[in-house]
Amino acid sequence: MEYIKEQDLDYILNKFHDTHKPFTGFERFIIRRDEIFSEDTGMDPDSVVECVLRQDEHLKNFPHPVRKAKAFEFVLKNTRISCDARDRFPGLNMTDRPLHKTLVNAWRKEVFDEIIPEIGARRTRLEKDGIVTIWPDYDHSVPVWERVLSLGFSGLREECRLAHNAHPWDEEGEAFFEGIEVTYTAIIDFIGRLADLADNTAGSERMGMALRNIRYSAPKTFYEALMVCYIYFILCEHIEGLQVRSLGNFDKIFLPFYENDLKNGINEEEIRTDLAYYFLQFTAIGHAMNNPVYLGGDNEDGSTIINELSYVFLDVFDKMGIYNPKIQIKVNGNTPKTFLLKALDMIRRGHNSIVFVSDATMRAALMRDGFSEDVARTCDVKGCYEYAVQGAFSCEMNYLNLVKPLEYALHKGYDGVTGVFAGTSSLNIEDYVSFEQLYDEYKRQLKTVIDTTIETVNSFENYFSYINPQSMISATFPSCIAQGRDAMHGGAVANNSTLLCGFIADIADSLSMIKKYVFDKKQISLRELVAMLDTDFSGNEIWQKKLSLDREKYGNNRDLPDSIAVDISKFIISSVVDRPNATERGGKWTCGFHVARMSYDQGKKTAASANGRRFGEELSKNLSASMGQNREGATAAILSATKIDATAFSSDAALDLGLLPSAVKGDDGLEAMHGLLMTFVKRGGHAMHINVFSADTLRNAQSHPEKYRDLQIRVCGWNVLWNNINKEEQDGFIRQAEALV
Amino acid sequence: MTATIFEIKRFAVHDGDGIRTTVFFKGCPLRCVWCHNPEGLTNAPQTARYAHKCIGCGECKKEGFTPDDCLGEATVLYGKEVTAEELLPILLEDRDFYETSGGGVTLSGGECLMQADFCAELLKELKKEGIHTAVDTCGFVSKSALDKVIPYADVFLYDVKAYDEDVHIKCTGLSNKQILQNLIYLDSIGKDIEIRIPYVPDYNDGQIEKIACFLAPFKNIKKIRVLPYHNYAGSKYEALGLQNTLPDRLPTDEEIKRVAEKIKVITNFVVLY
Ligand code: SF4
Repeated sequence: MEYIKEQDLDYILNKFHDTHKPFTGFERFIIRRDEIFSEDTGMDPDSVVECVLRQDEHLKNFPHPVRKAKAFEFVLKNTRISCDARDRFPGLNMTDRPLHKTLVNAWRKEVFDEIIPEIGARRTRLEKDGIVTIWPDYDHSVPVWERVLSLGFSGLREECRLAHNAHPWDEEGEAFFEGIEVTYTAIIDFIGRLADLADNTAGSERMGMALRNIRYSAPKTFYEALMVCYIYFILCEHIEGLQVRSLGNFDKIFLPFYENDLKNGINEEEIRTDLAYYFLQFTAIGHAMNNPVYLGGDNEDGSTIINELSYVFLDVFDKMGIYNPKIQIKVNGNTPKTFLLKALDMIRRGHNSIVFVSDATMRAALMRDGFSEDVARTCDVKGCYEYAVQGAFSCEMNYLNLVKPLEYALHKGYDGVTGVFAGTSSLNIEDYVSFEQLYDEYKRQLKTVIDTTIETVNSFENYFSYINPQSMISATFPSCIAQGRDAMHGGAVANNSTLLCGFIADIADSLSMIKKYVFDKKQISLRELVAMLDTDFSGNEIWQKKLSLDREKYGNNRDLPDSIAVDISKFIISSVVDRPNATERGGKWTCGFHVARMSYDQGKKTAASANGRRFGEELSKNLSASMGQNREGATAAILSATKIDATAFSSDAALDLGLLPSAVKGDDGLEAMHGLLMTFVKRGGHAMHINVFSADTLRNAQSHPEKYRDLQIRVCGWNVLWNNINKEEQDGFIRQAEALV
Repeated sequence: MTATIFEIKRFAVHDGDGIRTTVFFKGCPLRCVWCHNPEGLTNAPQTARYAHKCIGCGECKKEGFTPDDCLGEATVLYGKEVTAEELLPILLEDRDFYETSGGGVTLSGGECLMQADFCAELLKELKKEGIHTAVDTCGFVSKSALDKVIPYADVFLYDVKAYDEDVHIKCTGLSNKQILQNLIYLDSIGKDIEIRIPYVPDYNDGQIEKIACFLAPFKNIKKIRVLPYHNYAGSKYEALGLQNTLPDRLPTDEEIKRVAEKIKVITNFVVLY
C-alpha cells in the first residue's frame, strides 16, 4: 500500500482485528490480540471489566457522571496498551466497550425495565412490527475539534476548572464538573503512560516525544495534532462508548499545522506519510459504517476552505485505495472545480467513499431553524451525511417506515404481515369510495405512528444523561461549560431529536399505482388488489409484473408519483418539525430522509406493496427511486428528488445515484458527473452519493469474488467491499444496475 | 408540422458537450453495415417485438391496444409523429443540467436532416429558449437541407466513415462525395464541427490515415471523436425482423487508443475516444 511499509500494514491491520478471521465490521469492539498487547502493560480485558464493577460497588452514592468517570479512569489506568516501531500511533486493547458492559447497559436496563417499562415494551414492539426502529443515539454528535486542538486535553480541563471555581454550582453542575475533572485527568495520565511505553520501545521515540508534547499542552505539529485526534477518538468511541463518528472539518482544522510544518522545513512527504498512518487506523478499526471526516465549506470571508491540504488529503486517500474513513465534501458555488473533478474521478474509479453535501442547503435549513448565518456556515457534517451546528447534541436514530401505515389503512388498522392491531382502526376496504379518501386515511394512520414515536422517544430521552453522561464531549462544548450541564441534558446549543423517514419512493409509487389502476382505470378493485398483496401476488404474477413495470414511478420526473412524494413530505414536516422533544433535553424535533440499513431490515417485515414489490424485499433508499425503478436516468432522478424541499429536512436528505461506467467515461463523462452534482446543488438538493457500476460487472463479481477483492460499493452513506455483503444485498445492487440507462 | 422520431434520450453524455437530451429522427439514406440504430433506418413507423420481455398480460389482445399499453415493453413502436410544441417541454425538462454542464439538445437519428424543415423549426424554438443545439448528421443531405438548420445549430456532429469512395460504398451503400463536400462547406462558413469517426475493423480500419489527412487542414473542427464499433444492437435487428448485418470483429481498447493517437498526430485536433 502506498505510503505504508509492508510489515507495518500487517501489524496495523491486526491491531484492531484478526485479519485471519472473516471480517465483520460490527465486531470491531471485540479485539484481543495478545501478541500485540503485552500482559506487562496491564490487565486482561475480563479483569478490567470485573474490577470496574467491583470498584463501582463502593461508588453507588455518587452521581452517574462521576461513577462513569471513575470507571473510565480505571480502564485507562489498567487496560493493556502497545507502541511499536511498525506504527506511528499507539494501540489500546479495546475491550468491548467496557463502560457499556458495566455501567451504561445496567443504567439503560434500569430505565427501560424498571423506570419506564411500558415505553421499553412499546419500543420493542414498534421495532418488531417493522414500523419504527428506535435506537437510543449517543453517536451522531461531534466534539468541537477546534477547541480540542487549540487547547489540548489539559487546556480543556483547565477551562472547566476555571468555570467550576468561578461560582457555586447546583448538585448537577458539581457532578458535571467533577465528571470532567476525573475524565480529563485520566486522559492526561493515560497519555503519560503511553509516552513511557513509547520511550522504552525501540523505534518509537518520535511517538514518545509527540505524546509528551501533547500531555500538558496543545499540539504544535501536524503529527501531534493527528495524535490528539486519534487519542480523543479512540477513547471516546471505544472506552467512553460514544461513537463520535466524525473526525471533523479536516482541511480547516489541520491547515495551520500543515502550513506551520512546511514553514519549519518539514518535508511534505513526511506529512503525507503521517496522514496515511492516521487513515490506516480507521481502515483497520473497520467500523461497518465507516468513520466520517469532512472537507470544504466556506471561510468567514466567504472564500472556500478547500486548500492545498484538501488535495493532499484526497490524494493520499486515493493512492491508499482504502474506503474507511469516509469523506464528505461540502460543496458550494465557489468549490474549485478541479477539486470536485478529482473527487468525481475517484468515485468513477471505484474509490467512492465520498459524499457531496450542499453547503447552501444546509445553511438555509439551519437558518430556518433559527441559527445565524455564521453559525450555520460552520455546521458539522456527521454520520453518513447528517449535519448540525457545532456544539449540538443530536439524537437521530428513529427510523420510520412510511409504507406500513398504508398496510394499516388497507387492513382496518391491522398489520398486513403479523395481523396485529396497530393502534387505530380504519375503514373496510369496500368503504373507500375515492382515492382521496384512502389517501387521507393513510395520512391519519401515519400521523398516529408519528405521535406514538415522538411520545416514546421523548419519554426515554429524558433519561439519556442518566444512562450515559458525556464528559468527554461536553468539555468541548462551551455552552455546556457555561451552564454546567451535560450535552445530553440540555447543555448543547441544539438538542434535537430526528425522525428519519424511509421509503418515500415505495409509498409514492404504491399510492400512484392504486390511484391509477383501482380508482382511475378501474382495472382492479381495491379488495382484489389487497388480496393479491396479502398473498404476495401468488397466482397473480402478471399483476405483480404490471405494477412493477409501470413507469409512472417516483424518480422519473413523473407528475403523479412525484406530487404524492412532495405532499407526503409536507405532511411529515407539518406533523413533526418543531415539536418539543424530551423536556430534560429541551430541544425540538427535526426530520430526515435516511434509511441506513432499514431498507433491508424493515423491508423484511413489510408486506407486498402496490408498486409490485414483493413481501420482504428491499425497500427504497433515502430519496432514491424504488428498487430498479429509476428508468429515465440520472437527470430524472435528480429532478424528482429536488422537488422535495430539503431545507425542511434539516437532518439530511440524501440521493443515491447509480451511473453506468459507459456514461461517465472520458473527459465528457467526468464533466457530466460534475454537471449532475452542480445541478443537484443548484436545485436545492442536500446530499448526493454515486455508485458507478454495470450489472455485468456486478454479476461477474458475484460469481468470481476472488477477482473482485477491491470492488467497493456504496451502501447507504458508507462503503463496503462487495465481497463483504451478502447475496441478497448484492442482488439488490444488480437489480439497481440493471435498470440504469 | 410534424416529424417522425423513434427515441428521446436524456442524460446523453457523448453526443456533444455537457449533459444533453438527444432526439432520434427516423429515416436514414445510408445503410451502414454496423448500424446500431436499425430502428432509425426507414422513415415509416415499425413495430418491433422483444419476445423475451413479454409478461403475458394479454393487453395486446384487447381492442384499442397500442404499444404504449405494453408494460413489458415487448411490443415497441419505433416511430412516433410529434410536433415541435410537443417536443419542446420534454427537451426543456433538463434545462438546469444543460446550464450547469454546458450541454443542450442534440438532433440525431437516423438522419435528422431528412426532416430538415422540422429540425429548423425545432432548433429555432430551442434557440429562443437559449438552449445550446447540436445537429448530428451523416452528411448525406442536400446543401439546402444544411442551410435550413445552419442558423440555429451551434455545432455539427459530423460523421466521416471513409475517405475512399469505394470503401464508403462498401460500408454504407452510397458514395461519400456529397458528404465530404458538405463538410468543406460547413467549415468554410465557420461552423463549429465535431467529427465522429466510427472505427469498424475489417471495414474502415484502412481509412484512418486518409481521413485524418483530409481533416487536418480544416479550420473549425473543435474535436474528433473515435467511436469504437460495438455489437449491442443485435437483438434490435431480430426484434424488427431485419437481417443482421453487424460485423463480427470488435476493436480492442488498444486498437482504439492507437487509432486516436494516430489521428491526433496527423491532425493536431483534440481526439476523444
Ligand atoms: S401487451 Fe406486451 S407484455 Fe402484454 S402480452 Fe402483449 S406483448 Fe406481452
